[in-house]
Amino acid sequence: MDQSRIRNLCIIAHIDHGKSTLTDRLLEFTGTVAKREMVEQVMDQMDLEREKGITIKAKAVRMLYRAHDGVEYELNLIDTPGHVDFTYEVSRALAACEGAILVVDATQGIEAQTLANLYLALEHNLTIIPVLNKIDLASARPDEVSDEMAKLLNAPNEQIIRASAKEGTGTEQILEAIVTQIPPPAANTALPLRALIFDSKYDAYKGVVAYVRVVDGELPRNQKLKLMSSGLEIDALEVGVFRPKMVAGESLSAGEVGYVATGLKSVRDIQVGDTITHAASAGAPAVEPLPGFRPAKPMVFAGFYPVETNDYPLLRDALDKLKLNDASLTYDPETSAALGFGFRCGFLGLLHLEIVQERLEREYDLNLIATAPSVEYHVLKTSGDLITVDNPAEMPDGAEIAEIEEPWMRIQVFTPKEYIGAVMDLVVARRGAFDKMEYLDEARVMLSYVMPLSELIVDFYDQLKSRTRGYASLDYTFADYRVSDLVRLNILVNEEAVDALSMIVHKDYAYARGAALCKKLKEVIPQQLFPVPIQAAIGGHIIARETIRAIRKDVLAKCYGGDITRKRKLLEKQKAGKKRMKRFGNVEIPQDAFMAVLKLGDEE
Amino acid sequence: MTSAHSWTLPLAPRDVTPAVALFVFIPFCKIKCTYCDFNAYANLSRAMMPYADAVAREIEIAGARHASPLPAKTIYFGGGTPSLVPVAHVEKILRACHRAFVVAGNAEITLEANPGTIDADKLRALRALGVNRLCIGVQAFDDAVLRRLNRGHTVADALETYDLARRAGFDNVNLDFIYGLPLQTLDDWRATLERACALAPEHLSLYALKVEGGTGLEHQIKRGKYPAPDDDVAADMNDLAEEMLGAAGYAQYEISNWARRVGARHASPLQSRHNLTYWRTEPYLGFGAGAHSCFGGERYWNVLSPLEYIQRAERGESAVAGSEPISRELEMAETMILGLRLNEGIAFDAFAARYGEDAREKYAAQLREVNALGLVEMSEECVRLTPRGRLLSNEVFWRLLP
Repeated sequence: MDQSRIRNLCIIAHIDHGKSTLTDRLLEFTGTVAKREMVEQVMDQMDLEREKGITIKAKAVRMLYRAHDGVEYELNLIDTPGHVDFTYEVSRALAACEGAILVVDATQGIEAQTLANLYLALEHNLTIIPVLNKIDLASARPDEVSDEMAKLLNAPNEQIIRASAKEGTGTEQILEAIVTQIPPPAANTALPLRALIFDSKYDAYKGVVAYVRVVDGELPRNQKLKLMSSGLEIDALEVGVFRPKMVAGESLSAGEVGYVATGLKSVRDIQVGDTITHAASAGAPAVEPLPGFRPAKPMVFAGFYPVETNDYPLLRDALDKLKLNDASLTYDPETSAALGFGFRCGFLGLLHLEIVQERLEREYDLNLIATAPSVEYHVLKTSGDLITVDNPAEMPDGAEIAEIEEPWMRIQVFTPKEYIGAVMDLVVARRGAFDKMEYLDEARVMLSYVMPLSELIVDFYDQLKSRTRGYASLDYTFADYRVSDLVRLNILVNEEAVDALSMIVHKDYAYARGAALCKKLKEVIPQQLFPVPIQAAIGGHIIARETIRAIRKDVLAKCYGGDITRKRKLLEKQKAGKKRMKRFGNVEIPQDAFMAVLKLGDEE
Repeated sequence: MTSAHSWTLPLAPRDVTPAVALFVFIPFCKIKCTYCDFNAYANLSRAMMPYADAVAREIEIAGARHASPLPAKTIYFGGGTPSLVPVAHVEKILRACHRAFVVAGNAEITLEANPGTIDADKLRALRALGVNRLCIGVQAFDDAVLRRLNRGHTVADALETYDLARRAGFDNVNLDFIYGLPLQTLDDWRATLERACALAPEHLSLYALKVEGGTGLEHQIKRGKYPAPDDDVAADMNDLAEEMLGAAGYAQYEISNWARRVGARHASPLQSRHNLTYWRTEPYLGFGAGAHSCFGGERYWNVLSPLEYIQRAERGESAVAGSEPISRELEMAETMILGLRLNEGIAFDAFAARYGEDAREKYAAQLREVNALGLVEMSEECVRLTPRGRLLSNEVFWRLLP
């Protein structure tokens, strides 16, 4: 297609503001997907995505639209992940576009991710089409939110399109805005090939499929190609577009969005953000890669262990399979005295962790114990060695440590102003430092802080939500590594250290955290047949202690009228329950216990 | 029971069909107690007559299934509140039992009675029909507790019923109690036990409360009206009962059951022979709505709804709603579990005589573990729960499941 008739765009929004529903309406209106074929929210294909109401992986689709000017346009819509864990993926999707639809919920107004995504889009010089969604809802405040948006974008109020993706109002107006306002790609087919990879997936038949935006030149099929960051050479076994299923073609031209099937076996080889060009043997390769590439780097780590030790190979196979489609997931075998053989897995963030855990349990039917999440510490030993530690159990003894650095994040909290105090208290309790406060309007502020990632991944979001009655929204990005006064807190159950329960905490918080964790563990570990002491210790020094009293009564008093089947079923249930727990020495520790650290609250 | 060595051979060999125990379920109640999750109904009294007819029919059909009538050693009217049912209905059911089975001359025939639901005439009439054991649901000698449980009777009612039963000639009387109730203190329980011992019944059943799902009590606890029962207090109550009843001349023979001692060495003849049938995994036949039977290597049960039960009987259909085959493995496990409920425990030679396997080998790992935990004690002849093990018996039992 003539380049002037191509429009590449994405939709950006805070979570739950209606991005997926709007996508559905656009697909329907343009006839890309017939209404009867429409499973609700076509682009969120994983069950988990539908349940969580978020898009985990970016996807793309080509729509044909005959506009009011009588011309047919090709619209390439790239879906972006809707969670802050995937900011880098969002930035790569934005880099593949010339425009973005900014969706804001008329009942909620602008939120943290609205802004974060908008700034990202502006950084990439995208044309913004503001859409005020959910105007059909009784609680919508269209005028107010429209004013907010106009002010934010420095645009006239009339430019804000009022829509209800649910009811389909505004869809045509949005499509017209896309063709009239978003510029066609300014791409040069004569230059050497440069194609940006904004996503990839593993296909059992085609191997790894790279989702690309061709920036310069031509990408024909059956050509030798090269990945500019890794230098890896690949074959373009097939090229094509998404309608929304993959449809093969002869080539992709500058400005177009489509896919390249590579036959590769692992998505790790096709990294999001990398640039594809010709192999030296096949033509003139580009000199400079496209800017912005960054290898995927996990930030949050947790140990995954099968409850049944026999399931270890199954867990390994399942991780192998997930990794085929998830370049940012890492895993390395590790052993725990408490939990046996498992894997230390690395994730982009907590949500990513949850998704992987749920998929392992749901799709692979594995019964898992996940340890509390940790971050990667940089540890300078007194010996002069510099090591990284992503498992608290592997933190060296205090005497061997010269200095520990931990990752800090820049966070933005959007909140109605009456909760400023509550947010401040929470952040300060989590070792955060205030940076600045900006009023978005009379009622709402954006608070900026820096705080350690380790504090952010421990129940911070839930606490934030509960202290602001659900009104606050959150965005964060990595800031830097900073030196902190950290210690390893060991937990002893029945006098024995349980490595999988140890945690790294700031020295000033160690006593309070230790006491809170002992108390929590007392609640989640069921009574045993003997008293079980639970202790928190730093080095050899016990700093907190609780005792789980021995159970004294566990009896079915009455065997009534010979209904033995029912009694036996109760015992069978009890037996099954025991099987789900991990036996450590003589003590049975349920799965919850290893996540107890996440639920300590902030009483301290 | 009366033989000196009966406790060493409690399990009947498998190839001999021993006399069966007959159970009759009566689903009628005046009011529903807050802790009860049984298949029992208030406001269903209009169905009593057709229900009694249906039960009598079910009994006769069950009896006719065997070429020669089976011997029966016990009959037990359980509920619900059997004492609510007019004597004529009880008589009809008992006659059916006699027609369909060879009821032993010394059969134990028990009927459950709630205080305030039965008068002197009715007690005399039941006694005359051959009912020779009465189970009175006293639950507590504490009017505040009885009110909270919605028992519908007072302490005075219970004392009166007990007195009337004695006058009517009942010389084998059991009193039922519940302990571990919300708000019940150890002192409350001591007072109840003192009064119970003072009455000198032949038998006492002391049931640790379990808050069952869907009961009024569970709802009250969830709403915060009452605190959840404290297991430690319940354990203290059990210890107190063991101490007091032991001193008052009762011997515990099952987790929840005590019989007055008769002679120093032997098992008391006042133990509930009917309930021993369950604990010794011997055959029993249950009649009435929701009643369970265990016979011929199979366990089966009737439809729960009394009205459906009646309809089925009227249409000449079977009342059986479900069944499960009891495999040898399962039967062995159940024999262990039920047998261990008894203080006499499991005698190894009797187990071997019945199953041809040595329980010590078959359950070696489990027994070693629970022995080490102090939940069972083993001798050359048998294994039994320790006093601590009785209150923690589920910890022993689940390990024995196949």
